[in-house]
Order: sequence, then C-alpha cells, then structure tokens
Amino acid sequence: MKTYILTRIILSIPMIFIILTIIFVVLRILPGNPVTAMLGPKAPPEVVKSMEAQLGLDKPIIIQFGDYISNILKGNFGDSTVTTLPVIQELADRFPATLELTIFAMILAVTIGIFFGSTAAYRYGRQVDVIARIYSIFVYSMPVFWLGIMLQLIFGVWLKWLPVSGRASPFMTPNNMYTGLYTIDAILNGQWNVLYNSLLHLVLPSVTLGVVISSIFVRMVRSNVLLSLSSQYVISARSRGVKESKVLYAHALKNAMIPILTIMGLQFALLLGGAVLTETTFSWPGIGSYLVERIRYRDFPAIQGAVVFFALFVVIVSILIDIVNAWMDPRVRY
Amino acid sequence: MSDILEVKDLNVEYLTRDGNIKAVNGVSFSLGLHETLGLVGESGCGKSTIGLSLLKILPINAKISGKIFYKGKDMVKMSDNEIRSLRGKEISMIFQDPMTSLDPIMRIKDQFFETIRAHFPKTEEAEMIKTSSNVLKSIGIDPSRLENYPFEFSGGMRQRVMIALAIILNPSLLIADEPTTSLDVVVQLQIMEVLKALKDQKDMSMVLITHDLGLVAEIVDKVGIMYAGDLVEFGDVDSIYEKPLHPYTQLLLVSIPNVKLEDRELRYIKGNLPNLKSPPSGCKFHPRCPFATDICLKSVPPTFDVNGRKVKCWLYKGEKDDARKTNTSVG
Repeated sequence: MKTYILTRIILSIPMIFIILTIIFVVLRILPGNPVTAMLGPKAPPEVVKSMEAQLGLDKPIIIQFGDYISNILKGNFGDSTVTTLPVIQELADRFPATLELTIFAMILAVTIGIFFGSTAAYRYGRQVDVIARIYSIFVYSMPVFWLGIMLQLIFGVWLKWLPVSGRASPFMTPNNMYTGLYTIDAILNGQWNVLYNSLLHLVLPSVTLGVVISSIFVRMVRSNVLLSLSSQYVISARSRGVKESKVLYAHALKNAMIPILTIMGLQFALLLGGAVLTETTFSWPGIGSYLVERIRYRDFPAIQGAVVFFALFVVIVSILIDIVNAWMDPRVRY
Repeated sequence: MSDILEVKDLNVEYLTRDGNIKAVNGVSFSLGLHETLGLVGESGCGKSTIGLSLLKILPINAKISGKIFYKGKDMVKMSDNEIRSLRGKEISMIFQDPMTSLDPIMRIKDQFFETIRAHFPKTEEAEMIKTSSNVLKSIGIDPSRLENYPFEFSGGMRQRVMIALAIILNPSLLIADEPTTSLDVVVQLQIMEVLKALKDQKDMSMVLITHDLGLVAEIVDKVGIMYAGDLVEFGDVDSIYEKPLHPYTQLLLVSIPNVKLEDRELRYIKGNLPNLKSPPSGCKFHPRCPFATDICLKSVPPTFDVNGRKVKCWLYKGEKDDARKTNTSVG
C-alpha cells in the first residue's frame, strides 16, 4: 500500500509538468496580448516596450518558460494586473468560499445519488425507479442558472425564507478565521448566530449545485448497482441467506461504488475549480466568480494562476481517488 | 414423510418483452433423505432454473407456480423471511462459476462470518473463526487463507471455498449447479471427490445439476433427464444407465465420448434445442427424435410409469413391462 501511494505521487510529477507546459503554451497561442489588453490598443510603443520588459515578455520564449516554472515552484503566481495583489493571495482568499459551497453541494449530491440510485436499482422497473429516471433526466437537462434563479425567486423573493446572494449578512462573519469556512469557523468561535446565518446563505447555492450534480450520480449509481445486483456474487450471497439490506449495501453497492468514486472525486475536483454558473448566479465570492471577473478585465496572471491552481487540484484529488480506490478494492493494491 | 424434497407440477416462466419463456414445464419429482439426484440436460433445458427455484432466488422476471415441499412445507407459499432463514442453513447452493461467485472485494473470512451471522446473529468472532477454519480444513484448504481475497485463489480452490461456504451450517440439502463445468478435468475430479465425501460423511441430500452424465454417474442415486423444460425421464441411476427408455436419454448416453470405441467419432444429437418462446407442437423432442410418429407431432405425451420409472414419451403408452424399444444403437 505504501509503495502504491508513493508510486502514484511520483508518477504525478511528470503529469503536473505536462499540465503546466500546456497552460503556458495555450496562453501564448491564444489571440490577445496581455500588454495591449492592459494598456489598450492606442498605447505608445515605448510604453508597450517597457511594460513587456516589466512582465518579462521580451525574453526568449524558453527563458520565459523557465521563469514561469520556477516561479510556480516558489509559489509565485504573479501579481494581478487589476488589483496588483499577488494572485496566490487572492486565490487563497477566494478558495474557502468555493470549498465550502462544494462540500455542501457534494454532500447533498452524493447522498441523493447513493440512496435514490441504489433504491431505484433495487426496485428496478417499479415506481421509485421510474421517478428516479424522470428526476435524473429532468434535472440534468435543467440549466444550473435557471434552477438557481427559480429557487431565488421562490424562496428568496416570494416566500422571503432565504437570502438570495452572498456568503453572509453584513457583520455576520466569524470573528477569528481559522479555516476560512464560515460554518466551521463559527463553530470554533462559538458564534451560533453566525453559523445559522452562513447556513441560511448556503442553502440555495448548495441545493442548486447539489441537485444538478445529483442527477448524474443517481443515473450512475442506479446503472452500476443494477449491474452488480445481477452478478453472481449477489445471487450466491442471497443463496446463503444473507439479508437483503446487506446484499444491497455490503455487496452490490460497495462493488458498484468503485467506478463511481472515481467520477465523484473528479466531480469534486472540478467543482473546486469554481462552479462558475452557480457562483455567478448567487454572487458567491469563490474561485468561479473570480475567474469570470478577471476574464472580463483580461487579467492574465490571475487567469493563469487560477487555471494552474485548478489543475493542481485535479491532480491532487485524482491521487486521493486512487488511494481510496486501492483501499476499497484489494485487487488494485497488489 | 421420508422425502426431504418433493416437487409437484413446478412451472417457471420468464416474462420478457418479446414473449414469455417457459423454462420449466410441469416438473414433478421427489428426493429421499440422504439421496442424491442428478438433473441432466443440455444448456437451456431448465435444469438451472429448477436449482434456483429450490431456493427461490430466481430473477425478478420469473413467475413460479406449483409446489415445492421441503421437509413437508411448501416453499412456494413461504414468506420471504421464512425462505431466507432456510437458505444457507437448510438448503445451500454452489454455482457453476466459482470465479464470479465470491464477492471480489471482501475477504473470504468476512463472507464466512456474514453467512454464519445471517442465521445466528450473535455468534462470537472466535467461534466463527473456529467453525470456518474447521470447514476449510475439511475440504483441503489451509485455514490461514481465511484472510485472503477471492482473487488470490485458483478456480478449483475458489470452488472449494464456495463448497465450504455452502456447507458451513450443515445444511440438509445441497444443490450443486454444474459445480465442475468451468474447471479443468483434474480439478473436476477433485471437486467431485469433495462432493462424494460430503454425501458419504455428512449424509447430505444433494441435487446435482449437470450436462455431463458420465461425471455424476458414480455419486447419484436418481437421475432426472430434462429436455426443453420437461422432465422426460426419471428413475434410478443404474436402470437409466443400463436401459434408457426415452429416446433423448438414449441419444445422450451414446453421445458421451468414448475413446475405446473403434471409429472414435464424436456422436451428437442432431438439431438444436427448440425455441422455448414457440416450442414445437406435441412432444417438444419430436423434431430430433428418430422414433417420432404422428401422435408425437399432435399431442403432448403424459408421463408414463414404467417399472417405477417415469417417462414422458408416447412410446411407452400402456406399457407396464420393460420397454421394448430400448434400442441403444441409435445415433
């Protein structure tokens, strides 16, 4: 198991290098020059020159690449051209919001996915199954922002039960920040009204995001559990008098979860890169809305930083998925 | 009642989108205590369906009717929970494919424990280890292998583990659904030895489902021959082997390859199993039967009693004596 984890980590190093290279190349191939984007098309040539020199764009491409890699290794993602703050700091400020939203949305999506999906598979062809199938098609085909706007309209505007945007009401942030997750920090500080307030703000965005993702999970869990329910080890477990609940959860679902975990994990990683539509709809100050905002300003260091940050997350999460897979499936370990 | 198992007019139908398949058609037989029955037939003749019916673990699209008396109680009428408490404890089953019959991501140990706890929920772990070790030892597997996962065993070993799992609670009836089909010849014989030892030492009643008449001859007491969902012949193993009555049985017996024969040619039964969605009229075997007459085409033969044997064939209408048409030179 130890060697397995070590191998996975070592193997991911070239992978990260390749990703960094691709990002570098793509950003230079794409039309649009950061200098003209910053200074506008009518800037005098000498100003453009000095700007290029300042950004290191006058150096040969291979040197630029070397600088880029060494800067990233040092944790230096450059400074934002809009705020002049270090990109890494801006990302660190925004990330907890995305993480918090992602965690709540994933908890909801995974719970719905597993219970609804496996129940539908177990009751194949019956009412629950039909409802599950309609649910997943219906929700999957629904645009996230539309669902978000509808929920805002119903629960925020008409019923006035829930806030429609932001992470917290004014003066309702935790006093001391430890994790950046408002809910956790509020608990650590013992500020129960802050906890309640941030939970209220979380409901609509995480339900919107969670429900939309759950549709894929329901479908996946259903079809995988259906497959493992018809497998021979399920029949043979039944033939030994094993209880139906154990047949479903300990055998069918557990085996079905191996491929599903990979997809759930990758979905989690994707969301950490920012659920752009959801964050924009709910003015959620996370990575997704940050990216949209900075693309509008052509803030190249910020965009590059956000993409690298996101790519690293996908790599880290996929290593974690492999480890969890190995832990669940003994055949992978050896 | 001395019979452990009595099947009366068992019908199983699979409901599919394009028509129903009658997999088992009015099958009746009985099995005495400590007896072994061999159910023999080609693939798709319904023999495995009978096996699954005896535990009521048929697929959900199956419709079952008739009566299955186990120790005098009708299993068809039992509640799901009653049936579940029989499975593994009173009646156990081993399956054709040992490679897929064990949960791949669960230690062997846990599959044993799960089986014991399904019937005796409060069993201590130490006791379960002892019981599982003993049963593994009895079929020739080192108890230390309880810690292993299924993929660490060979096919023959896995089938032994499957047998151990099936007999751990000392069931009275063991159903073996083609237990050796997917194994190589040497391992096949080893598994048959294990089953034979079980029959002799533990006094288990057994239903052995197979397509290999030769392999089971040594260990079964009774033989049932299945064809396209019908039980076409049923009787003692010796009398069936000596004088097969039904033409299908006769053909099956001469199809067993025999290298001692002069010409060494493979003999087989011409034609295929009929489509069970639209079976042939009359006797389902008539298109392949060398003795078919007009009546075979028109009406379904009833089961005739010939010297204590049951034959579903028009040739034996009104016969009480030994059959005259036991012509073994067909083929």
